Amino acid sequence: MLKALLQRFGQTAFVLFGISVLVFLVFFATPGADPTSRIAGKNASPETIAKVRQEYGFDHPLPVQYATMMKKLFITQDLTSYANRGEKVVPELIKAAPVTLSLATGGAVIWVVVSILMGTVAAAFRGTWIDRTLMAIGLVGISIPVFWLGQVANLITQARYHDTWLFSWVPALGYVPFAESPIGWFKALIIPWCTLAVLFIGVYARVLRSDLVTVSGEDFMRTARAKGLTPTRVLLVHGLRTSMITFVSLFGMDFAQLIGGGALLTEVVFGLQGVGRLTYQALSALDLPLIMASVMYSAVFVVLANALVDVIYIFLDPRVRDGR
Amino acid sequence: MRDGTGVFPSSSPLKHPRPTSGIRTTRKLTFSALACCLALVATPLHAATVAPGAPDSPETGGILRITAENSGGTLDPQISYVHITYQMEAIVYDGLTTFAKTPSKLSSHAIPDLAEALPEPQDGGRTYVFHLRHGIRFSNGKEVTPDDVVASMQRIFKVNSPTAGPYYSHIVGGEACLKDAEHCTLAGGVEADDKAWTVTFHLTHPDAEFFDRLAFQHASILPADTPTHDTGNEAPLGTGPYKIVSYEPNSGLKMERNPYFRQWDAVAQPAGYPDEIHYSFGLDPEAAVTAIENNQYDWMLESVPLDRQAEVGARFSDRVKLIDQLVIFYAALNVNQPPFNDVRVRQALNYALNRKAVVIYNGGPAVSSAACQMLPTGAPGYEPGCAYTKGASPEHLAPEWKEHDLALAKKLVEESGTKGQKVVIVTPGSGGSGAIANEIRATLVDLGYVASVRPITPVIEFSYIQNSDNKMQIGLTGWSADYPSASSFLRTLFSCATFIPHSSNSINASQFCDPKLDALMDKAAEVSLTDQKAGDALWAEASRALMAQAPAVPLDQTRRVALTSSRVHGTFDTPIYEAVFSQVKLRRAGDPP
Repeated sequence: MLKALLQRFGQTAFVLFGISVLVFLVFFATPGADPTSRIAGKNASPETIAKVRQEYGFDHPLPVQYATMMKKLFITQDLTSYANRGEKVVPELIKAAPVTLSLATGGAVIWVVVSILMGTVAAAFRGTWIDRTLMAIGLVGISIPVFWLGQVANLITQARYHDTWLFSWVPALGYVPFAESPIGWFKALIIPWCTLAVLFIGVYARVLRSDLVTVSGEDFMRTARAKGLTPTRVLLVHGLRTSMITFVSLFGMDFAQLIGGGALLTEVVFGLQGVGRLTYQALSALDLPLIMASVMYSAVFVVLANALVDVIYIFLDPRVRDGR
Repeated sequence: MRDGTGVFPSSSPLKHPRPTSGIRTTRKLTFSALACCLALVATPLHAATVAPGAPDSPETGGILRITAENSGGTLDPQISYVHITYQMEAIVYDGLTTFAKTPSKLSSHAIPDLAEALPEPQDGGRTYVFHLRHGIRFSNGKEVTPDDVVASMQRIFKVNSPTAGPYYSHIVGGEACLKDAEHCTLAGGVEADDKAWTVTFHLTHPDAEFFDRLAFQHASILPADTPTHDTGNEAPLGTGPYKIVSYEPNSGLKMERNPYFRQWDAVAQPAGYPDEIHYSFGLDPEAAVTAIENNQYDWMLESVPLDRQAEVGARFSDRVKLIDQLVIFYAALNVNQPPFNDVRVRQALNYALNRKAVVIYNGGPAVSSAACQMLPTGAPGYEPGCAYTKGASPEHLAPEWKEHDLALAKKLVEESGTKGQKVVIVTPGSGGSGAIANEIRATLVDLGYVASVRPITPVIEFSYIQNSDNKMQIGLTGWSADYPSASSFLRTLFSCATFIPHSSNSINASQFCDPKLDALMDKAAEVSLTDQKAGDALWAEASRALMAQAPAVPLDQTRRVALTSSRVHGTFDTPIYEAVFSQVKLRRAGDPP
């Protein structure tokens, strides 16, 4: 157990190191990215430029600059932005995390519940019009880009029909902290949740249906049916549990990626100040400290999610538990 | 260069109860009596509940809600250098001088603020003695003293303020402070006299813009014990009608009244109407327009995007404000790179470019006007005159731009013998800049060049073109001054001092250096010290002399298109700050529109 944990920790450290070096080098290889004059301000005197260069350590060799940045990011946590002088990036990221967590969790609840329902019903009615209709709806969901859907949702709820009884409850775009107003939090997020979930519902419902169809021919399913269990029980208890393996693997990766800032487009469209929007802002401003912090944050979640998925496998599939 | 929700505060004393028509007569009487009592109570209550330092007006109160796409980073007023912080800090901090926070002309100069009056120059313009006002307090109650002024001036250097060099290094001791900021004393440069309650400034040379420079936010007066490093997300204490109580750069900022503020000058720092001011960061300008249309916010930092201007103009014309600003968009021509090292080519492009197209790309004649010179309309020293339009020349100016002259331009190119050369136009890769760059490309092709456009992400485009090693040929950019002066356009962008070879911070993107023009600008600055009118005439001459050599193609000057919610009224727009938020009055439910 300890060995496995250490191994996982080693992998995580290696991945983080690799990513950080890559991001750092790409930044410095970008022409015109030298942040000194941007930090110092327009028309700053050569003396001020020199001071800023020294203060930010830009006069040191790249490996030293890299080590200093990592120290400021992980140890002293006082890494400051290159675009907005004085803005500390780690606290920014910590403040943005609950927004992303709220968005991803709510969206995940919707897509998990709806896709399980859709996938299971489609598999139960395999080959019928119900199956075909549900899968077609799923495909439409997959095909719609999230930023387009978000803009259309905004157009309907914020602009065109905002003054009607149907959407007059919709608050202004942006995030309302749960602690400030649970109802406000819910109202502000319900449309982003649904928008975010649409793509995933389509993907997950199709994956689940396909797995359910595949396992229906397996020996253990035949045995269950031979024991005289009802088709519903066979499908839900025996079929669904086994079919959830792919579903859970996918979920682990997708959820981690969303928590890590993958819901960037949804956050930007709905004005949610989460990690995704912070990443977007960092990229638009070519702000290395913020890019570095958000990429590191995202990478940690992806690696952790992989580990978590491995654990869940053990519960879902006895073969993994027995080492078979 | 600098470059809430829809409810009224529940504590509002102005909500008068209205009897409902369906109530029985007896109840009506009771209700009316109650209403009268309440109304009687409400009037003195209003007077009694007006916050300290707030105007005693029925329009006082409420929360002003502003939306902006992004925050402005650090709140340190001596470092922050973006429009959003300039605007929000104008009502939090004061300098010895300031710009009017009530309607004024584009060319308005600084007026006294924490100083009682603008002092008369002594020693040929090298010495100024400022008498400080008595009884002005920071938001913690501490009185502003001459020592705070001295410490604030030193702090400009200690925190490596962006303008420490260009604006304040001519204070005696300033150069030494630039070299060794940590031990900056400005000894012999700024002296406090607690008995006379004065602060004396000694300059190394006379400066006609000294009061304007002191009015810029980097010369804000802060408590002497303010840390001598960038305070980042913590706002230092100020003396204005508001104080910043919370700030999260990724989500929002809140301002409340400074309890120790008492209005000392209604123009320099008027008392504020709203009780609180809330900024929310995160909405892009498109979403912000919709939110303001829905009255979810009252004001947006960014201009209404071009694609929404027709919509807001048609549906909310009574809620649109057009604000004139001192800004010029231009194409810098690198005079050290062929073909623009030939003045005839530079003049040819100025003649050939159809500025009517530029105006259309930037929103049409209501918000954009064709530019003929590098001084924007309304700036001190601006005199109308167009050298490069049909029928005009640098010697015989037309009153305004009329039509491009392709034939004359082609003739000039022929004479230069540069036809067929390659030209690359560097442009920010966003908004209307791309379209304008393509218009210039098409013009260059018409003139016989092989032209192409290189869009660069807006955030580094300016850094790219001001890097003098990049061998840029044409770069599109814009410039707005920190304060109204001809010098901050002509000298900053085209003097020998601002062209720094092999530097990534050479603001003179045209790499233009003409000692004769420098001498003329020096003379204009010197004359302005004692005779503003004669000085302005010399600046106008310098502008004409610059355009005769055409190191840039002036494109256009734009107006800011602002949209407000239906509850906003009052006059709060000024050319320097665009909007002074302390002067916004908020209508309450039931108030007449």
